[in-house]
Amino acid sequence: MNEQLHRKALRLSALVYTTISAVLALAFLMAATALGYPITARVGGTVWVFLLSMIVSMPLVTSYFKRRYRGE
Amino acid sequence: MNQETRQHVTLQITGMTCASCVAHVEQALRELPGVSKAVVNLAMGTAKVEYIPGLVSLDQMKQAVRDVGYEATEKTEDSQAIDRERQARQREIRRQGLYLLFATPLSVLIMVGTFRDYWIFPYFVPEWLGNKVLLGVLTTPIVFGPGLQFFVNSWRGLRAGVTDMNLLYATGIGAAYLIAVINTLWPTAGFGGEGATFYESAALLTTFIVLGRFLEALTRGRTSEAIRKLMSLQPKIARVVRHGTELEIPADAVEVGDIVVVRPGERIPVDGTVLEGYSAVDESMITGESLPVEKKAGSEVIGGTMNKTGSFTFRATKVGKETALAQIIKLVEDAQTSKAPIQKLADWVAGHFILGVHALALLVFVFWFFVGYNAFFDPNTGFLLSPHKLGEIGVFGFSLLLSITVLVISCPCAVGLATPSAMMAGTGKAAENGVLFKGADAIEAASKLTTIVFDKTGTLTKGEPSVTDVIALAELPEDEVLRLAAIAEKNSEHPLGEAIVRAAHERGLEIVPAESFTAIPGHGVEARYHPHPHPLSPGRERGARGEGREILLGNRKLMRERAVEITELFAKKAEELERDGKTAMFVALDGRAVGLIAVADTLKDFSVEAVQRLHRLGLEVAMITGDNRRTAEAIARQVGIDRVLAEVLPQDKAEEIKRLQAQGKRVAMVGDGINDAPALAQADVGIAIGSGTDIAKETGHVILIKEDLRDVVVALEVAQATMRKVKQNLFWAFIYNTLGIPIGAGLLYPIAKLVVSPELAAFFMATSSVSVTLNTLLLKRYRPSFKTTLSVPSPQPAPTVAAVPVGGEKR
Repeated sequence: MNEQLHRKALRLSALVYTTISAVLALAFLMAATALGYPITARVGGTVWVFLLSMIVSMPLVTSYFKRRYRGE
Repeated sequence: MNQETRQHVTLQITGMTCASCVAHVEQALRELPGVSKAVVNLAMGTAKVEYIPGLVSLDQMKQAVRDVGYEATEKTEDSQAIDRERQARQREIRRQGLYLLFATPLSVLIMVGTFRDYWIFPYFVPEWLGNKVLLGVLTTPIVFGPGLQFFVNSWRGLRAGVTDMNLLYATGIGAAYLIAVINTLWPTAGFGGEGATFYESAALLTTFIVLGRFLEALTRGRTSEAIRKLMSLQPKIARVVRHGTELEIPADAVEVGDIVVVRPGERIPVDGTVLEGYSAVDESMITGESLPVEKKAGSEVIGGTMNKTGSFTFRATKVGKETALAQIIKLVEDAQTSKAPIQKLADWVAGHFILGVHALALLVFVFWFFVGYNAFFDPNTGFLLSPHKLGEIGVFGFSLLLSITVLVISCPCAVGLATPSAMMAGTGKAAENGVLFKGADAIEAASKLTTIVFDKTGTLTKGEPSVTDVIALAELPEDEVLRLAAIAEKNSEHPLGEAIVRAAHERGLEIVPAESFTAIPGHGVEARYHPHPHPLSPGRERGARGEGREILLGNRKLMRERAVEITELFAKKAEELERDGKTAMFVALDGRAVGLIAVADTLKDFSVEAVQRLHRLGLEVAMITGDNRRTAEAIARQVGIDRVLAEVLPQDKAEEIKRLQAQGKRVAMVGDGINDAPALAQADVGIAIGSGTDIAKETGHVILIKEDLRDVVVALEVAQATMRKVKQNLFWAFIYNTLGIPIGAGLLYPIAKLVVSPELAAFFMATSSVSVTLNTLLLKRYRPSFKTTLSVPSPQPAPTVAAVPVGGEKR
């Protein structure tokens, strides 16, 4: 895979895993708000869920796009 | 792509800490176009890459490794490279040691301050030490000093889109520290308040992880001691004679053909052949042979071995990478950088573990946040093995705590180390005993064998005939019978004749030249000689009446044709010898039978003992030979072999091995690494025996430097001991994670109302890695069974000779 394609794969995968993590964090925030949790728990929990979601989705999505751009 | 166009390079990788690092580096390298294979060894910190030159460069490989957060340099094979590696390892030990020295007293202080209200602490711990701000001030240099490496490394990995152990540590330490700071500065922010300032968690977590790294660096170096020991054998200086002058030059500068001088107590710098002088040389470090080996003109010497008593000069025949020592080092290194099938599975599991752990930490957090806290939380909750209570910790703090504990307790470092550390120790231990495994897969395969097939000639037997029996008729002594036979055979080039002449020489008999000599193909020889030497012509003898005497040496048929009478007793004796597979030859003098000589290929020393020990290991032992069945069975009986594959042509030996494998047997073939190459390659494990110093020529998966058949047993014992260690290590590593993760996730909390603190989790994690490495180090105590236990007596006492007619009957 050439450098340009490599960068493109990284950019696209960053967009995707960030979106996935944001969606999960948002879902957590909405659930916590709906259930009446205090504001610190809601904010802290949302940040933690976002962080862990990023860590989980980042390698999966990145390797998926790298494979795709390599044409496998 | 043709295999020949591919090249190999070994990279030294720094910064790898766990099996997920292995997966990242391997993946980064394999993704490069032109890289066909990449195998990373965590314990050695190396990556062996197979690539197609032109499609990918070394710089691209190094960059790819750097992109995923590690450093790569080309690994060279000289002793300076080893020195550099040792220095790097020592730097790492020193660095982590300093961190530990810095973090340990501070952490103890922080722990004492945190628990100052408990137990006997209030009596002697000043109140100010429990101040949260002070605890925060003491914790900060630990987190941003020794702990900084985890943040930096995980950030490097994250930028490249990879997650590793460092991230587990960084999230664990970072979250514990951040929550403690928030609760100190803004106690009403809702994160648990002053009761949840876990500074000691952040501090002890860092300290235990650093402790784990320190102990790992210490013990990891010890498992790879074998290579360093071998490297250290290479002397730096050689004394050569050039233009008649003795010069001291670097050992690397010795050239083939140089005359090298060696004095008592000096190491031999390169391989060569002794020209003059006499000494005893300790070769134990290369061959495992415990007794010093005598060296005189014509003897081969091995570079790196230690001259003991005398001085001698030798001509250098192999230098640099060609020496036996260099080849052995390369072979051991290759074996240590290779990967056993069981390790590939462990790496795959560990490599995918990090993601799984983070996903689990997320699930644990969500569960305790939405369900667990409301259903089960009790303010009197305490930490396991700690007087600390959680008190008024809120839902977020509690869920976060369990989530962090899962991250820390799940570290699969021990899984990543379990196999490579044992393989390194095993291959090193084998090399110390003169057994060279060409790869980790050979160790694994050797541990699962069911059948050992020995080639006969040159493997079980010496491959050269010798006289085993001399039987004389009453009127002549045995020596005279042998002397007559030797006179008849003196001009013969047949192996049987040579054996007879050699035996006569060994007994110090005078062999006068025959006056005439005739070979009778397929039957024997006839010769005439004069019993008394001619006074004017040395070498010529004269009979009492001035006539020569006729000697006839050969088989029954020859005796019948020449009307030599064979008594019934004599014929029976000959049959007995032949039943034992020996070649019996009658000796007749002037038409009268005077004796019988038996010649056979002799068994190698320790053949019987090796087979007995293999039986004790529960293995079936077979022999493969081109000889006829009767001869083969005679040998098999004497050695105690279970199965005989006789009359097999050399080119069909591989087929026979295949046939055994088709019966579900896992087969090792022991033979000559050159002549038996196809059969060695076909076998599950090919063991090339007695290669001496010519290791590069050998095929097979295992190479035995000495000709001692007991080394086959050593190879199997080391393989079995190594795989036992691998399995024990994997068991302990997995059992730790299997038990630790559910407990860390709070599975027992509803019943026990106890949670595992992150620092305790870190302590367990460090203990697990260190226990695996220490368990591996127990392999260092291995000693071959033949050195520790006496040989088992044979069920039927085996004679020291076995019979193989070496074409004798057909001469």
